Amino acid sequence: METTTPPRSPAQETRAAGGPAIDFGSLAGTRRAALVLGVIAAGLLLWALWMVFFYVPTEAEMGVVQRIFYVHVPSAWTAFMAFGIVALCGAGYLWLRDPKLDAIAVSAAELGLVFTTLVLITGPLWARLAWGAWWVWEPRLTLTLLLWFIYVGYFMVRGAAENPERGKRFAAILGVVGAIDIPLIHLSVQWWRSQHPKPVVMRPEGAQADPAILQTLFVSLFAFTFLFFSLLMLRYGMERLQQRVHALRAAPR
Amino acid sequence: MSAVETDEPRVAAAPAEPVPGVAVADDEEEVGAPFLAQIWAVARKDLLLEARSRERLLSMGTFAVLVAVVFAFAVDPSIRARSIAGAMIWVTVLFAGTLGLGRSFALEREAEAITGVLLAPVDRGALFLGKWLANMVIVLAVEALIFPVFALFFTLSFQGSLPALAAVIVLATVGFMALGTLFGAVAANTRLGETLLPILLLPLLSPVVIFACAATQRLLVGRPVSDVVSQLKMLGAFDLVFLFVCAALFGAAVEE
Repeated sequence: METTTPPRSPAQETRAAGGPAIDFGSLAGTRRAALVLGVIAAGLLLWALWMVFFYVPTEAEMGVVQRIFYVHVPSAWTAFMAFGIVALCGAGYLWLRDPKLDAIAVSAAELGLVFTTLVLITGPLWARLAWGAWWVWEPRLTLTLLLWFIYVGYFMVRGAAENPERGKRFAAILGVVGAIDIPLIHLSVQWWRSQHPKPVVMRPEGAQADPAILQTLFVSLFAFTFLFFSLLMLRYGMERLQQRVHALRAAPR
Repeated sequence: MSAVETDEPRVAAAPAEPVPGVAVADDEEEVGAPFLAQIWAVARKDLLLEARSRERLLSMGTFAVLVAVVFAFAVDPSIRARSIAGAMIWVTVLFAGTLGLGRSFALEREAEAITGVLLAPVDRGALFLGKWLANMVIVLAVEALIFPVFALFFTLSFQGSLPALAAVIVLATVGFMALGTLFGAVAANTRLGETLLPILLLPLLSPVVIFACAATQRLLVGRPVSDVVSQLKMLGAFDLVFLFVCAALFGAAVEE
């Protein structure tokens, strides 16, 4: 009688090959959550757009160009949140070596880079009319640009490492150190005399702006936050699938 | 290399067999040499290598002096050098320092020496601090050359503010070398190697550069020492954060 080994699951195969333990659980829940968040985000974004164009009054000093503020500020908030997630999940990955944490970190880093790019596009569009120059070398702008470069470095070091596991570790290191830059940017407006407008909401004396402006800003902030988490879930699911493909390719046939 | 030779460090690195009945304390205590002695051993190794070859000091020093000459061409003569010298000097220090940092781990990598270093019974934190200390000494030596050269070429005077300037230089170098040692190790282990180092390092160094340039520039135009105290404090704070974070992350950067 022939002795046959019982069929092994792909996860067991990878483990037998000495590869990283990959969880082959279903990603349906992640996708469903991404869909639900995405629908909420779409609704909120439409609401925010209606508020920006039809509800909020035109700001007296800056005029219509001020309306870009409702895209610029939520993008910055989302980008900072994304980089915070990169740092936390990066530190977690270095500690626990859980590929899921790395998948969250890389997804958040990509989105953070996208939203920082939005900040760096909307900022100069506003500055051209408000300051008369596309770009001034001013602490907050300079540090935001540097932040963008830090996370470009994140992807460079990830791709340039000789083996993928190392790349993940190196990227996590950069994510943790890079996060130290974020409070510096936030505080820079207070520390240095700066051309950049002072915060109107997060400030020690409390919020100071027209209620309609604040309402529009908050709806927009919520919309961007939901959009971010929806995209993060989608991208995370994709990253996990990619990890599985790599694991299966590495496993012996 | 014979099998015996390759096996030797492994034996040395293997943790001592736990003797039944004898409580084994932390891993660190098993390693033997005290933490400070481990740091010194690593730093001494790097400094001895440098003292024998002098390749990093010579290349960094020559590069720095050449940059000073290039600045003399590049800067419009109508601009008074004193008004931009702080920035010129620190940009030169950053570029020369980055050049030297690339070699810090390239040597370890070339002959797979890093494997031996990692197998030695040295704590990862001590390995980082040893490397950091050696890099500190080398870069401070280069800075001791750069500052007088710039003072000579651009007729700058640091007299009267020398202790404060020394404090700025040392504090800025502490942070620079903390990040530089960590990312030197990271960059050395990538395909791009030393090319990647400045790309990773320059944006992360922004706090150090900002405060070092501001303080140097103020001292240069004859402002009193009390004007740079806040910059010195910020440099000190970032140094502590960077040293702690980089020492904690270093293990992940060198492990196989």
